[in-house]
Amino acid sequence: MLLFRSEQHVDRWCRQWNRPRGGMLSLTQGWKLARLWYGDRLSPSWRGKTAEEAQALFTEIGLVGEFWQLGG
Amino acid sequence: MGTKPASQTGPNALDRRLRLLIYDHILDTGRAPLVAQMARRLSRPLRQVQAALRRLCASHAFVLQENGELWRAAPFSAVPTGFTAEAGKRSWWGNCIWDALGILAALHQDGLVRASCGCCNLEMILHVRKGALQEKRGTIHFAVPARLWYDDVVFT
Repeated sequence: MLLFRSEQHVDRWCRQWNRPRGGMLSLTQGWKLARLWYGDRLSPSWRGKTAEEAQALFTEIGLVGEFWQLGG
Repeated sequence: MGTKPASQTGPNALDRRLRLLIYDHILDTGRAPLVAQMARRLSRPLRQVQAALRRLCASHAFVLQENGELWRAAPFSAVPTGFTAEAGKRSWWGNCIWDALGILAALHQDGLVRASCGCCNLEMILHVRKGALQEKRGTIHFAVPARLWYDDVVFT
């Protein structure tokens, strides 16, 4: 997951590496994802999220659609 | 002579102790411990620690290098990267922008992330103050669909 100055820079990177445009997040979404995903990571009682929990977290941030579907 | 319950002595207990030991070491030093250091700190044979590491890796939160040493203890990278998180006078590496932001999120501390544009490599610094990300300009790009993230986690 890379950081870019703008969507134009993403498109330039995609052309350079001959890859389709993937999933895009605003910085606000990225920070929210970081907090929800990693906020409890240093807790002694941490456990990994289930696929259902992870999918619900994506949906909460607005990451919906085929690209954000986790494997079954 | 008493015996400890299995919850304090079995593989699960070792995994929990190892996980916390790794994070404590990274937080204190900015670097991941070597497997031999883990074994010494836990007073366990190397092979037991290696087995525990393999179990921790099942969650994808931990990833090993080909030489058996840690590559990643999410959100921390055990190897130098272009994504640095700083809080106070300390700094840590993340494997990607999500992880670098995740370090500040895990610490629950304000700080900054030093990164650069994936396209032109110009420096981009993101600041977290009072728990809020200050910058609005910029975007994060995921090249790999979510269902394939762990097929090649290094590329992802």
